[in-house]
Amino acid sequence: MATTHSDSETIGSESVDDAEQSVSSVEARVGWRYTLAQVRKDPTAFAGFIIIAVASVVAVVTTIDAVVFEYLAQYQVFAQFGVEKYWLAKTVWMSPTAEPAGTPTLLPPVGMENTFGQGTWAHPLGTDDRGRDILLRLIYGTRIAILVGVLATAIGLVGGMVIGAVSGYYGGWTDDVLMRLAETLYAIPFLVLVLAFIAAFGRSITFAMIGVGVASIPKFARLIRSRVVSVREDEYVEAAKAAGVRDRNIILRHVIPNSFAPVLVQATLQVGTAIIIIAGLSFLGFGIQPPTPSWGQMLSVSRNYMIQNPWFSVWPGLCILITVVAFNMFGDGLRDALDPRLNN
Amino acid sequence: MSAPLLRVDDLEVQFFTEDGVVRAVDGISFDVREGELVGLVGESGAGKSVAVSAIMRLVESPGRIVGGCIEFKGETLIEVERDDDGEPYRTDATIPDGELRERIRGREIAIIFQDPMESLNPVFTVGGQLREFIELNRDLSEREARETAVQMLREVGIPEAAARYDDYPHQFSGGMRQRVLIAMALACEPSLIIADEPTTALDVTVEAQILDLVDELQERYDTSFVWVTHDMGVVAEICDRVNVMYLGEIVEQAPVDDLFYDTQHPYTEALLDSVPRPDETVEELNPIKGVMPEAINPPAGCRFHTRCPDAREACKTTNPDCRDVTDGVTEHRAACIKHDAFETAYEGSPPLETGAGGGFDVSLSGGESDD
Repeated sequence: MATTHSDSETIGSESVDDAEQSVSSVEARVGWRYTLAQVRKDPTAFAGFIIIAVASVVAVVTTIDAVVFEYLAQYQVFAQFGVEKYWLAKTVWMSPTAEPAGTPTLLPPVGMENTFGQGTWAHPLGTDDRGRDILLRLIYGTRIAILVGVLATAIGLVGGMVIGAVSGYYGGWTDDVLMRLAETLYAIPFLVLVLAFIAAFGRSITFAMIGVGVASIPKFARLIRSRVVSVREDEYVEAAKAAGVRDRNIILRHVIPNSFAPVLVQATLQVGTAIIIIAGLSFLGFGIQPPTPSWGQMLSVSRNYMIQNPWFSVWPGLCILITVVAFNMFGDGLRDALDPRLNN
Repeated sequence: MSAPLLRVDDLEVQFFTEDGVVRAVDGISFDVREGELVGLVGESGAGKSVAVSAIMRLVESPGRIVGGCIEFKGETLIEVERDDDGEPYRTDATIPDGELRERIRGREIAIIFQDPMESLNPVFTVGGQLREFIELNRDLSEREARETAVQMLREVGIPEAAARYDDYPHQFSGGMRQRVLIAMALACEPSLIIADEPTTALDVTVEAQILDLVDELQERYDTSFVWVTHDMGVVAEICDRVNVMYLGEIVEQAPVDDLFYDTQHPYTEALLDSVPRPDETVEELNPIKGVMPEAINPPAGCRFHTRCPDAREACKTTNPDCRDVTDGVTEHRAACIKHDAFETAYEGSPPLETGAGGGFDVSLSGGESDD
């Protein structure tokens, strides 16, 4: 300020009581900390949060092991330290991809017995049709499920957010064009759209993931648009305009943050859906390709041995179930935490 | 007299709705000089808010500025003329959108909105918003902007400004938020602040504090104000000059004392009469008869003649412009043909039966006043 006046503190000091009242009575009801505290009060949501957190940590560690070590292994220098793909797994246990010689196939879990033999502690959850350890493959399968589920959702979220926000903010013909496009995409069944995407670009997990992301854009776009249409009429948006803020910054700083709560909830639920879809694609052979371990592909192989060794198919199925339910529980809790009408 | 800071000339804003064209602002002219506090008064729906949002070109579809010219510090904020087909277009003198946003909005002209509850973004801290606004319009670094923001909060009377900096808007009371908005408007030291009914949502004690604050800050920064309100009490308290609006037109312009002691337009008179006083009961109130007609289809002739106690036959045909009615003694202009300046047949014209002529007896059926 160009002018500093010593008496400036005295202006309007009569409103001090006014201020004190509002300081003590209300705690912050926005921001991450408050939302997470709110989620913690809800045991179901908190359980979901814990499961997601554990799965995410597992996913990160296994990604480092499978991807980063593979990259490092290319260099001779690191080879002498024994750096190779699945280094962690190999040190502790055995490779999740290589077929070990002499290990019995289709072993049941510890304490069980079937036509192939007796379960041992060496393979707590049994072995698959090639004698690979199922527990290890499940652990490494988490990486695909979480990573692909989250990334696919992120693609849908970002795409949907941009389209929905622009569409809702500008209205008029921009809105018409973008929303009619989104609805066209919405009209095509989800799985058909993803399969068409894979057919067009190639059979790989990357395209499966992008396909799922693109197919979920309309859902997010419509959701965020419905909020933006009301938020753009709020006075702080007009105030920002009057203050000379650019449209782009108004959308990014004022419109999207105020429209974000329902989208965040939808995104959490969508991760669960994406995991199922990707698992389904892997089951059909369109997603992850062997020998990389993934839950869906394990399910696909196990269906041939359902009678002889049902455990083989139970474990990956359980993993998918638990993860998806966890995301749904967390999403529900988040919805309650972000709903101002339920906060009291 | 030096050139005015802001000059609004024959401004016309229309809303193109499905029911027809709403002539929300229909050819108003007024000016604001440096360091002056100009009031814009009228009933709800008179077009006050639309008129001031037009100054910053904030009128939104289906609304459109269809005529007139707004000049600010010698620059043309907007000038609209009609081409041969009667289609309005912006002339080349109008400054481009980008320049208006960069140089004028926030930096030169700031707006304080009506509802302090709604004018702050609920997801960001109060200080953060103020800081961002300062950063945007004053080219300061983030740290400097933060210091300025805290100082501005202190200046508008927020106690413990540094501590309240990180609070969210909902943790502030209405009066405090209005102070924040004023701080925001003042922060960039604009030459003109447009206050769109800034105290309407506040109770009277807080309103008084805010008015005092504005008065004090206005003296210190020498900022000009356009103060939109429907409250004659506020007008008397702070305005230097007043424009009274009725149905999209300015019916009287006068320095504030002249307006109150030497009222020249029947509408202003009725408006002053209808201000509730503590010593009156509801039965004694004097609301203006009837409701304001729709701006889609305004009455022919003088727009107020349907509710005017002084209306005569001639009023149905002549729509007077705002003319000097005091022979240049003061700057007092009114748009009523009963004054000599208009040289019309008012004197010889028979009085009209408007229901308002026989005094202001109030009944439930006839006394619905829209205020």
